[in-house]
Amino acid sequence: MTETIRLDLMLRETVHAAYTNLVTRPTGRAIRTSIRERLAGGQALALLDFSEIGLVDLSCADEVIAQLLLDPPTGTYFVLQGLGEEQLEAIEHVLAHHDLAALFQDPLTGAARPVGRVSSEQRVAFACLQAAGPATAPALAERIGWDETQAGTVLATLARLRLIRCDDGSYSLPLSA
Amino acid sequence: MSRIVEVPATFDDRSFEQFATSFAAGPIGDRMLFDARPAQWASPFGLLGMLTAAQAIREAGGPTPGFTVPQADEVRRYWARTGFFQHAGELFEIHGKVPRLKPDDQSDVLLDVTPVRASEDVHGVVGKIQAGAARILHGELGLEAKATMGFAMALSEACQNIVEHAGTGGWVAVHAYSFRKRLGRRVVVIAVSDAGIGFRRSLEATQARRFGDRWGDAAALEAAVIQHTSRFRDPGRGQGMPGIKRYLTRWDGKLSIRSGTARIAIVPPWDDDAPLMEGLAAFPGAQLQIVIPGQEISG
Repeated sequence: MTETIRLDLMLRETVHAAYTNLVTRPTGRAIRTSIRERLAGGQALALLDFSEIGLVDLSCADEVIAQLLLDPPTGTYFVLQGLGEEQLEAIEHVLAHHDLAALFQDPLTGAARPVGRVSSEQRVAFACLQAAGPATAPALAERIGWDETQAGTVLATLARLRLIRCDDGSYSLPLSA
Repeated sequence: MSRIVEVPATFDDRSFEQFATSFAAGPIGDRMLFDARPAQWASPFGLLGMLTAAQAIREAGGPTPGFTVPQADEVRRYWARTGFFQHAGELFEIHGKVPRLKPDDQSDVLLDVTPVRASEDVHGVVGKIQAGAARILHGELGLEAKATMGFAMALSEACQNIVEHAGTGGWVAVHAYSFRKRLGRRVVVIAVSDAGIGFRRSLEATQARRFGDRWGDAAALEAAVIQHTSRFRDPGRGQGMPGIKRYLTRWDGKLSIRSGTARIAIVPPWDDDAPLMEGLAAFPGAQLQIVIPGQEISG
């Protein structure tokens, strides 16, 4: 199941004002609470759509993105979409502060990529799953030319960061992009 | 008999010390008269300083101070356009004629003097600044278009410091002007000021023991501005200041913060300000200034 959450609409509904900027901690907390309520039904994939949002400041990004990723709703994977360069920069700053990573849907290619604290090994593994489809740790090791321990460790970390999902030992992207 | 508080003829962050010394020359419960008659010019930092002083007097239960308006008509008109008199009228007993002017969307006053008391005010400030900031930063100062978003972010984080830490309301103003003496270029200046508890009291419970005998206004500023500590134990806190500093590094900007008896500055190569000053005249709350210079024209 996929749920697209337009943050501009949620902002208006949540704070009852015609704001277009995600600024301040109280606003961020209110938005985070609304997102949790929306996802209470156990959605598998939540697309957070920033396309009609203006500014995202660090305080609000911390309250919305970082706090959601630190304590995600059970079974939910987040993908950030519609982010401009400066908005993404603010979010990456917050992710780095918490040693977190998130999936970002590139507006040009439509493909997802991890942003935040992601190592080069993790990027390689993610790209491999994206290009060639789901894989177990041994299969990924063979594709990339790593040993199985290395592949297993990297995949487990990606899964812990909720950048990929793991179903019965098979790792895949949470969205088909 | 009122005690005279001298308003410097040219009132910016440097001459602020002259103003603060005059303000601190007696008890806050004194009847005071702020004498702005000789004033020729004031930066947003100076304008907010006067409002902050008056706010502190009110909050301390002191008598309403008097205020004599600048003699020069063009100065009175400019101060009126900044929204200064609108708020000064609530805090001072004004002596002299005040022009009634409407804010001009195309003027150098990007954001007139605006009270900040709650997070809703920060939304208002950010919403109001964006169009004007793009016009000035990109159109006049020659900065890349993407400088606008970071500018609004820095403004938002600076204003939130009042809401989160001051314990009372404050003020913000943003102006553009020529910075001939120090830089020879146009600049945009954000000033934020409050009459609240200041950095030392805000951080005392979590930081004083760590600094020991060194604890004071300067150490508190160092903890907040250099070490990015916050009074909140939440690990997500304390990101605003590094975010502001990163923006300033990218655009060659300057940050200075005064609180209590100390002042700290992140000084770019174009300026010769002192990085840290201690033992200044005591002044209520905290005052922050951000200066973003225009792009240097080569050749």
